[in-house]
Amino acid sequence: MWRSKEGKECLRLLEVVADLLKFVNPRALLSYFRSLIGSREMRILILGLDGAGKTTILYRLQVGEVVTTIPTIGFNVEQVTYKNLRFQVWDLGGQTSIRPYWRCYYSNTDAIIYVVDSADRDRIGISKQELVSMLEEEELKSAILVVLANKQDMEGAMTVAEVHSALGLDALKTRTFQIFKTSAIKGEGLDQSMDWLANALASRK
Amino acid sequence: MFTLFYGLYKYLFKKDEFFVLILGLDNAGKTTYLEAAKTKFTRGYKGLNPSKITTTVGQNVGGITYAGIKLSFWDLGGQEELQPLWEKYYAECHAVIYMVDSADRERMDESKAAFDKMISSENMTGVPLLVLANKQDIPECMGVREVKPIFNQSADLIGRRDCMVMPVSALTGAGVDEGIDWLVECIKRNSDVRPPPNHDDT
Repeated sequence: MWRSKEGKECLRLLEVVADLLKFVNPRALLSYFRSLIGSREMRILILGLDGAGKTTILYRLQVGEVVTTIPTIGFNVEQVTYKNLRFQVWDLGGQTSIRPYWRCYYSNTDAIIYVVDSADRDRIGISKQELVSMLEEEELKSAILVVLANKQDMEGAMTVAEVHSALGLDALKTRTFQIFKTSAIKGEGLDQSMDWLANALASRK
Repeated sequence: MFTLFYGLYKYLFKKDEFFVLILGLDNAGKTTYLEAAKTKFTRGYKGLNPSKITTTVGQNVGGITYAGIKLSFWDLGGQEELQPLWEKYYAECHAVIYMVDSADRERMDESKAAFDKMISSENMTGVPLLVLANKQDIPECMGVREVKPIFNQSADLIGRRDCMVMPVSALTGAGVDEGIDWLVECIKRNSDVRPPPNHDDT
């Protein structure tokens, strides 16, 4: 077979490939394949009651500006790049009637950003119920939780400790979570929370 | 029949789980310690880079399996405004690791006060206490010899609980093993008083 014309061409081709391979750095090759595996986008959900500031936070993260928002019916999804990590961030509408649909988005979620309106003491109880029932879901068992105590620019906003006890977070015995004071309007606290989230996601096994 | 085998399986393979609280003032090194413990006792686990650890507002959890039992750590935020939240965990914990920043002489009294308040809670009766004099890697820090007398002043509050002061450096990992060894010993001895959760149905 190798005596035929096609066979010789085939052999020559193999030699060329072998020569080329000598120049390829094995380490570079390894990191290339590793990047293929590791480049899965992290999937993050932004949840919370209506009017908590979820959409404002999403676009603060993405474009760094405050955009004018209207109540979200359905969802917004954007790709956010933060310190070389790519996140696919889903912001779901928070009104009572559409909260039951949150669960359709739970699978493969790496982290949940739960946004609380710190100035809205009347509805913190409802926010707690939604959070508790959400965290009971099997699909979110290993998701990392970040609670954003938003609207800290408002007068009479709840402190971190108040938000912690109002949401009953001490009942979460098996989950790593962190609370941040934020003001999406002023852009405060968001960087720290994304820093922490990026580290927590990177160190997760 | 199934129940019999299931019971046998559980008896052989299920490890009792105990909860350990990691408390102390902010910046004492609680999260760094947790990462160091996880790194030491979990094969293949690469701890978080200490430079990336920020102030905890919330909780970090982590578990290790050692000497036939499972230890689950709760690392809570230590800032003053978060300290009132500690007590919600008291009833369910089996041991406490209290971190002290040995290099911060100015806040030693504050740390002692928070310690006293913690051990005065009635939910904490009989819980083993491990006080760790952290940051022993810093040259001018206080040694165990200096830290121990400070916490010994609370001897009447500590009462008959197991209590131990040990040196540690969460950053380098020195002293982590010794502390965990001691703690596991105490937890096992104490498990009649504070049994692991769901002990009855195993």
